[in-house]
This record gives sequence, structure tokens and C-alpha cells, in this order.
Amino acid sequence: MDSRNTSVATPVPAFAVSRLFRLRRNGLTAQIAGRIGSGLLVLWAAVTLSFVSVHLAPGDIVSLLIGEQLRTPEVEAAIRAEWGLDEPLPAQYLSYLTRVLHGDFGRSYILQTEVSQLVLSQILPTLKLTAAALFVAIVFALVSAVLSAGRRVPRSIAGALELTLVSTPSFWLGILLLYLFSFTLKLFPVSGDRSFSALVLPALALGLPLGAVIGQVLRQGLERALEEPFALTVRSWGTSEFVLRLRHGLRHAALPAVTLTGWLVGSLLSGAVITESVFGRPGLGRVTVEAVLGHDMPVVLAVAILSALVYVTLSTLVDVLYLWLDPRLRSDSREAVR
Amino acid sequence: MLARRHFLSLSAALLTATALVSPTLASDRKPARGGKLTWGVETEPATLNPQLNGQDKTKLLLRNAYESLLARTADGGYVPWLATGHEISPDGRTYTFRLREGVKFSDGLAFDAAAVATNFSKLKDASYSGSVSAGPVARIAKIDAPDARTVSFTLDRIYAPFLDYAAGLELLSPGAFASAQIKSGGPEIAGTGPFILRRYAKGQEIRFVRNPDYNWAPANAGHQGPAYLDEVTYRFLPESSVRTGALASGQVDLIEGVSGNDAGLFKDSADFSYQTALNTGTPYSLFLNVTWGPTQDVKVRKALIASIDVDAVLKSVYRGERTRAWGITSPIDTQFYDKSIEKTYGADPKRANQLLDEAGWTGRDPQGFRTKDGKRLTIEVVQAQATVRDQRDVLLQALQAQARQNAGIDLAIVFVDAGTYTERRKTGQFGSIANSNTPTDAIDIEYHYLPVDQGGSINYSRAAAPELSQWLKEAAATLDHKTRFDLYAKLQRFAILDQAYALPLYEPEDQVAAARYVNGISFRPFKQMPESAYGVWRSE
Repeated sequence: MDSRNTSVATPVPAFAVSRLFRLRRNGLTAQIAGRIGSGLLVLWAAVTLSFVSVHLAPGDIVSLLIGEQLRTPEVEAAIRAEWGLDEPLPAQYLSYLTRVLHGDFGRSYILQTEVSQLVLSQILPTLKLTAAALFVAIVFALVSAVLSAGRRVPRSIAGALELTLVSTPSFWLGILLLYLFSFTLKLFPVSGDRSFSALVLPALALGLPLGAVIGQVLRQGLERALEEPFALTVRSWGTSEFVLRLRHGLRHAALPAVTLTGWLVGSLLSGAVITESVFGRPGLGRVTVEAVLGHDMPVVLAVAILSALVYVTLSTLVDVLYLWLDPRLRSDSREAVR
Repeated sequence: MLARRHFLSLSAALLTATALVSPTLASDRKPARGGKLTWGVETEPATLNPQLNGQDKTKLLLRNAYESLLARTADGGYVPWLATGHEISPDGRTYTFRLREGVKFSDGLAFDAAAVATNFSKLKDASYSGSVSAGPVARIAKIDAPDARTVSFTLDRIYAPFLDYAAGLELLSPGAFASAQIKSGGPEIAGTGPFILRRYAKGQEIRFVRNPDYNWAPANAGHQGPAYLDEVTYRFLPESSVRTGALASGQVDLIEGVSGNDAGLFKDSADFSYQTALNTGTPYSLFLNVTWGPTQDVKVRKALIASIDVDAVLKSVYRGERTRAWGITSPIDTQFYDKSIEKTYGADPKRANQLLDEAGWTGRDPQGFRTKDGKRLTIEVVQAQATVRDQRDVLLQALQAQARQNAGIDLAIVFVDAGTYTERRKTGQFGSIANSNTPTDAIDIEYHYLPVDQGGSINYSRAAAPELSQWLKEAAATLDHKTRFDLYAKLQRFAILDQAYALPLYEPEDQVAAARYVNGISFRPFKQMPESAYGVWRSE
């Protein structure tokens, strides 16, 4: 295991880049530059698309900000002047881009706070919840897949459980967990980002459905792997069934599951809004939904940039994981580089 | 939604079972000092600056730190608070307040006439206060501070609701206006209140600590001197069932906002107390657009009102936990509610059908809805999805069923996002919008019945009959209570009975449920809504 790891240490980043962007034979630096460049391109596209779509959505910003309060030309003018909304859209767009390049993300129209501070204050609780939910999901998926793959009765039990979890709305699952473990058994507190124990229930509520999806994919992969000739070879060595599944089967089964996980984690970061509000937790999910509904452009754009960053990072990470999981890809890449 | 409600009643039963076995706490009557308290609340403030915050539901926490010149009494009168008294000049345009001695803001600055004057002149500036600058402060022509303890405001002309506004405005330390936090609010924004805002964790909670120097409670407060509690934390729990569960399991000490289904759980329990108070202001009403769609015809508006049995609907949706409304302001309003409107109209399906026949909606389509020239009688109720609360989606569905069954009216409920809602409001392209508000002193009536471009910011019937603005302006331009009462009563009959601009449904209310050991919970006299934590104490 160790020796294999060191032997692939250099080709890893090179391959990760080349697989996605087909920048072969260009040398390591150029490839890294390419990766960064395309990352920036993704960021720019995210900002531009968000900017355009918020403006295309019904309801103008000034009316939304005034809401049900008194509306006079003076009030409208003051709001336009404060947020620079009196400029034409392309000018607003360009000035936003310039400010972002200088590290200034602006102030929230609605919350009236610095966007960078707002996002920073919400990102830690979000990351904690995402990490914990991911842990729950992976443990659940692994246990369920390894124990049930290819065995008739465990398979149908696990399948039924997974189906229930996937199809339970997250609001319900959250409330159910709360009633059981918080209100009745009083094991975990209901709310906030205050202690580790307050993280347990929201992580379960968010992680279990995710684990169920991954578990289904992982089990199918595992079953396919166990039917392949190599499984017979390994069994003939006298290896136990459990070791076969864990050491050999999982590697083969993991590729699609890893792709899926990477994609799902990205959606967790800003998609945890229901879990956040059921558990009274701070987090980016609620901030994002409120910002989109209120056309709070600076917040929407900052979240778009953050999400794009996360996706770029995750896709790189997934590529690296591919290599570690599947030695066949590594030799391919070495040949390609040579 | 329906499934969720069933689930909640099930959980309520479960909680009752657990509540029965827990021991009853004895409470002695002498207020005890000290201790901390956690309060589960529904609404998180959009801004912590009380002058810019328009969310009624956040007043209960903001009033811990920020106070005003006068307090109200239950009958609508005024008693000293930060001001020891007030005077109105014989011409009715100048309001003079004498300020209390020895008051200071929690940042150490003195509370004096200059501080009060700064607050009001800042509010007149739209770049600070936005829409607030167009409200009652816009009528101030001159602010004077002849000495440190006297401040006076001269209006451009008589405006009767001004005293309520000036007396109730939460005052900030003059030092706060230089802070970067001024618009978002926060610990840097000092007030004079019995508690000091210590920490705000967005999305989670807000914490106040006792102001040890506090010695200027309103004359009608339950006690004087510093608050009883050392500390009070408000935790934001937007889900009603989660608040209920958190209180029942002892994770919070009291909660605000209890659904009709959960009320019984706390009401009849020895371990909890449960209190409600009706809101002030215009009841939750279905406003019918007189400028768009079939509701332009007064006969259609009257038919819709006659087709709905409001009592039956409220009983089925809220289990009798809500109060039927009849008029243009709250039945709790001791100043301007004219009770004679009650029971002057009501469900009358026969009349509803007769009116619709007269209006030419005589055809029927295969679904049983009435039609005219092949077009279905559809009244579109536009509702912003994000602002649905208090089971109002279920209430609207119940109205829809009645309108269809009794008169063949298609009351179509359209749930939209905030942007679309804003757009439809602005263009006036909706059949009906349901709404309520809470201001007193007839400001609630002005917002709903002045023409849209003359201060009727939530005039959802879009009525612009000349009588309305004439009566409202006449009423605001006199300080004679009897004249004002008569004018609003006339407007009420005109708007509800003659023109059918709106169908009043129920008066919203606040509910507070608390563990038995929490004492001194109260609602504000006259203004209703839960009071700050000043009088609250723990008996343990």
C-alpha cells in the first residue's frame, strides 16, 4: 500500500489535469496554469450567470427593498443612490467585477452587513454540518453496501431502508429525529451551532438520505465486482469473503460512488436550507435562499463564487481519488505522458 | 401540508404524555433576582436597528435594549418613560416633550434633548432610513431643543397620529450613528433599555445582559430599577413544531408563536402557562382588487363575501383558537374600533348567487364554476410563498372550497416568489391579496385605504374613491377624538358594507407559552404584542 502510494506521488496532479482538460505533453506548470485558468473561467461564468439570472427574475430590486413600506420618488432615489442601481446594468456588472478583484464583495442590500463577513460567519457552521453529514453518509453507504451486496435478505432490508430514507422529505426526517432523540429521549439538544452534540441530529438528517443514494450505487458496483473473474482468483487464495469485499471489491465499486459523492457534497453546501431551519442552525443555505428571494445581489454573487470554487476543488479532488482507487488509470497516464 | 399537520397532532399527543409525568414546579409570588432564560422565537430580525426594522415579531426582543419617550396605557393614554411629560400647542402643531433626568445610554452617553433631536433629524434623511423617512417624520417642519431637557417638534400641519409615532420611536445613542453597524444594528448600537445587546449569532441566537444602571422604567411597568434576569437569550427556531418540542422537553424556557394544534398541549398543563393577546391594526382580510379582473364589479365582491362562512372556516382551520374579525381595525383597539359593524353581514349563499346572476355570471362550466361569455369567474389570490404563516395557506384553501361550493366562484390561490409578488403588487394585476398590519392610532387604516400613490402603501383593494382620502385626511387633521372616531366608523361601513373592498377574516394574535417557573410574562398595554424581558423572573 505504502510503496504504491509513493510511486504515484508525482503523476497524480499531472493526470488529474490532463484527464479533464486534455492538456497532455504540456509539462506540469502549463497544466497547473491551465487548471487555474479554467477554474477562473468557471468562477467568471458563475458570477455572470448569477448576475444575469437575478436580473431576469421578476421583481426589481428597489421594489423588493421597499416591500410594503411607503414608496416615494425620494425614497426610490435614495435606495438607487446607495446601491449604485441608477447606473446602467453593464456598468453595475463591470464595477462589481472590479470590486471583487480588489477583494471587496460589497454589502448586503437586505441585511446591511459586509458580505464577506456575512459569508465568513456562516461558512464554518456550514462546513461542520457538511463534513459531519458526509461522514454519516459514507459510513452508512459502506456498511450497508458491504453487508448487503449479493445477499438476498440483507439486500432487500437495506434496499427498503435506503428507499425510505431517499424518499422521506428532509423536513420530516429532521422533525422525526428531533422528536425521538431530542424531545422524547432528550439525548441531543435541538438547536444552534453550539456543541458537538448539537451537530449529531442535523448531520444524520442531512447525511442519511445522501448515504442511501450512495449506498445504492456502491452496492450495485460491489455486486458487479464480485462477479468478475478476479473475485474468483482472490477467493481461491483462501481470502475471507469480508476481506475480499473490503480490500478488492470496494475499489472496483468506488469509482461511480466517488463521482456521485463529489457532486452531492457540492449541493450540500448551499442546499441544507431545510435542515438548517428545522434545527435552528446558522448556515449558508438559509442565507442563500433569502438572498435569492430578495434579489440581494451582492450575497447571491458571493455565494455563486464560493460554490464555483467548491465545485472546482471537488472535481479536482475526485480526479485525484480516481487515481488512488484505480491503478489502471495511473499506468494509462504514464504512458500518455511518455 | 395536510400530512404535516396530522403528524404534528400525533406528536402533540406524545408530548402530552411525557409532560404528565414530569413534576410540578412550585412558584412563589415574590419576584426573584438573577438567572438566565432562553426564549425560542419564530422571527429573526432582518436588521437589529429598531428604527429601520418593520417586523412586528421582533419588537419583543429589540425592546429589551431600546426605549421610547412615552409608554401607552390600555385605554390608549400616555404615561412617562424617557420623557416625564408632553404638551401639544393650542394650534395642534407643536409637540413638546420634557425629558427625564439621569438617563444614560449603555455606551455612557447622556440621554438629552440633543440626542432625541439627532434621532429624529437622522430619520428624516432617506439615505439613512429609506421608506421610514416618508412616514410621520416627513411631517416635521422644525425640531427644537431649547434646553437639555426639552425637545419640541413642529409639524407642517396637524397630523393626529404623530404623537403615537413620536412617543413610540425607539431612541438610539447619538454615538451609534457614526458606527458601521448603524444600518444592520448590533452590539455597537447603544440604547437605554434594561438589557444590553451583547452578542448576535446570525441564524442562531441573540443575547442580552442586564443593564445594571437601569432605573427609568415606564410609570406603568410592574416594577422599577434593574431587570430581574441576569441574561436572556432569544433562539431563532422558525419551525413552530420545533419550538413546541423544545419547550416541552425543557430546552428553552418559553416560546412565542404556538400553532392552533399545539395550544392545547400547554393550555391545560400544570407545567406550562399559555397566554395570548390579539394584535392591534387591520385584521387579516381578503382585499378585493377594484381595478382588475371580475372584482371590479361590486356585485362580484359582495357575492364573494356572501358566499363564505368565515366562522365555520375559522373553526375548522384553527380549532376555534382564533378570533373572527368584522371591521377595518382590530376589535382590541380601544380608540377607533366601531363595534356596530359586527354581524351586519355574513354568509348568505342565496344572495351570493342572486348577485352573480345579476352581474351576468350565469353560465356554468363542466367543473361547476360560473362563467360569462365563456370565461370562468376566477378571482386570483396572489400569495408570496415565503410569507405564509399561521396556517394561512390552509385558511385560504378553506375559503376557496366555500366560494366554489356556495356560489361557483373560482378563488384561485397562486403561490409566488417574492419577486413575482412585488411585481404583481406594483402593476396591480391580481384579483385579491390577503393582508393584515399592526399600527395603531388609525395609521393601519391609512396604509390600507389611502390611494396607492398617496400613502396607501398596502392598499390592496386599490380603491381610490374620493370619499376615502377625504375622510382619512379630515380625521388625521383634527385632534378631536369623537370626530375622528365618527369618520373612521363611516369609512368602515363604506368600505366593508357598501363597497365590499375587503372581507375581514380574523384578528392575528401573539401566543406565549412558558414553563411554570417563568413569571412576569406580559403583553404591552394597548400596543399588545409580547413585552420585553424586563418584568420576567424565574421562581426556582
